[in-house]
Amino acid sequence: MRVIWFVSQVLLFGVIAAKMVNVPDYFQYYVGGLSVMTLYSTAIFIGFDIYEEAEHGVFEYLLSLPVSRRQLVIGRSIGGGLRAFIYVGPLVAISLFVIGAVNPLSFAIALLALFLFSFGVSGMSIAIAVLIKSSDRFDIFMGVLDAFIVRLSTTMYPLKIIQQTNPIYGWTASLNPLSYAADLFRWGTGLEKIIYVQNPLLPLMGIVAFFGLFTLLGITIYERMIEGGGWR
Amino acid sequence: MASVIQFQNLTKKFGNVAAVDHLDLDVEEGEILGLLGPNGAGKTTAILMLATVIKPTEGTALVCGYDIRKQPDKVRGVLGIAFQEPKMLWVSTPWDVVNWHAKVCGLSTTERKRRVKEVLDAVDMWEPRRKNVHALSGGMRKRVEMAKVLIQRPKVAIVDEPTAQIDIVGKHKIWNMLLELRDEGSTIILATNELYEADHLSDRVAILHKGKLLVCDTPKKLKDSILGGDIIDVELGQDASAEIITDLKSLKEVVDIMQIKPTSLRLYLNKVEEVVPRIMGLFSKRNVPITSIRMSEPSLDDVFAHYTGLTIEEAQKDEG
Repeated sequence: MRVIWFVSQVLLFGVIAAKMVNVPDYFQYYVGGLSVMTLYSTAIFIGFDIYEEAEHGVFEYLLSLPVSRRQLVIGRSIGGGLRAFIYVGPLVAISLFVIGAVNPLSFAIALLALFLFSFGVSGMSIAIAVLIKSSDRFDIFMGVLDAFIVRLSTTMYPLKIIQQTNPIYGWTASLNPLSYAADLFRWGTGLEKIIYVQNPLLPLMGIVAFFGLFTLLGITIYERMIEGGGWR
Repeated sequence: MASVIQFQNLTKKFGNVAAVDHLDLDVEEGEILGLLGPNGAGKTTAILMLATVIKPTEGTALVCGYDIRKQPDKVRGVLGIAFQEPKMLWVSTPWDVVNWHAKVCGLSTTERKRRVKEVLDAVDMWEPRRKNVHALSGGMRKRVEMAKVLIQRPKVAIVDEPTAQIDIVGKHKIWNMLLELRDEGSTIILATNELYEADHLSDRVAILHKGKLLVCDTPKKLKDSILGGDIIDVELGQDASAEIITDLKSLKEVVDIMQIKPTSLRLYLNKVEEVVPRIMGLFSKRNVPITSIRMSEPSLDDVFAHYTGLTIEEAQKDEG
């Protein structure tokens, strides 16, 4: 694994990094991506909460409450997403300071997209947590997923350069929800020197689809795996 | 009286082990039904199925006419549960815990404010309402757990070992709360392994052992049902030999003998006045010294022993 990682660092990411010498305002670009990466990593934490709740028996209490499982999962997703957003708030504020927002409306749309992205990540984390049922395995799985999903996105490298380096990598990055969130955030702040979002509706729709899919998956898996004590 | 809860062949298996084994039982409106049994008897599993927290392997139960399998949301709407281990959530004070629970149960803001104070007062938790839950004693945490059920006033309240590890003053407070809740119209299922608690509070007692329902009736009828309505506990100066037990069994008034310890026998008798002198004679003839002899009435432990051949304590060890 370490060998593969080393080789890929040199042959793929090294090549990309070399091409980025001429990218203007990369620092601003990177700050925007960093905000989204942090948001993703923070929203994932709801999965660990699920294990903690199960360990302390709070899970049973939640399952006995007079609310439907659907409400419970949506509530947990929104709670997890909101918490992540609050935690990342200062970083977003710093990003704003560094990049500067030109158009308040665009920025508001970008923020909304980040909200939805954060909820979607929470839903995904809940779904994976209840599927895996072991906090250690979840930890490892999320670590691997994190490495892939972040690397295979435009959070750190502009899509144009990735596409030039490797079309498959470029294609993957163009479908990655992290790319949608990062590009929309940069678009929202008016950072258009490096990214060219022709139609912001597309990444926005991508994020809405990501949010919808994982909220639905979260509900379905939660009901199947948890309803009736599947956790035990 | 109408049945509010009907267990219908309710079964839960974990692997090959049946934690609850084909349970059939009706709970009548407005009663306190004691689920009595040692740890591992299946009490908690049965009530978790009822609360739709875990799903039955076989059979079902109806709560206020709602099927726990088909209408779990409806079931949870009429049911409140106080868990064996208090669940303190991620909020930090008793006030927050009870207020959050009331909010989820749909109480309006105005009603909630009033009721939270009322309920925390009732459980003597108003003063320490701002204390961190982790700084509370076991008894206080149990009372907060009870407060959740009290504020909810559900049609069906389930309390799982509400007074375990609580001092006697705390026990009485919780018992009074349960009786008040029953008097306000709730039907209560009380899961316990404390004999006095089951006897004192329950209108009817269902005895569970190894997931099976052994018997269910009023405490009085259960005690009256044991053959040999009189009990004497005999402490001996030496171990009871097989011969002396055979001699005792030969007396027709001796219905049953349980050897509690090597030097301690419990005899279930008829016509105690007539038979005690003869029993003393038997011990004297075998030169077995008696250190004490005590007469008592049957307890629910005797009922349990009658059906299982074990005291609750022994059954608990057996499960452990």
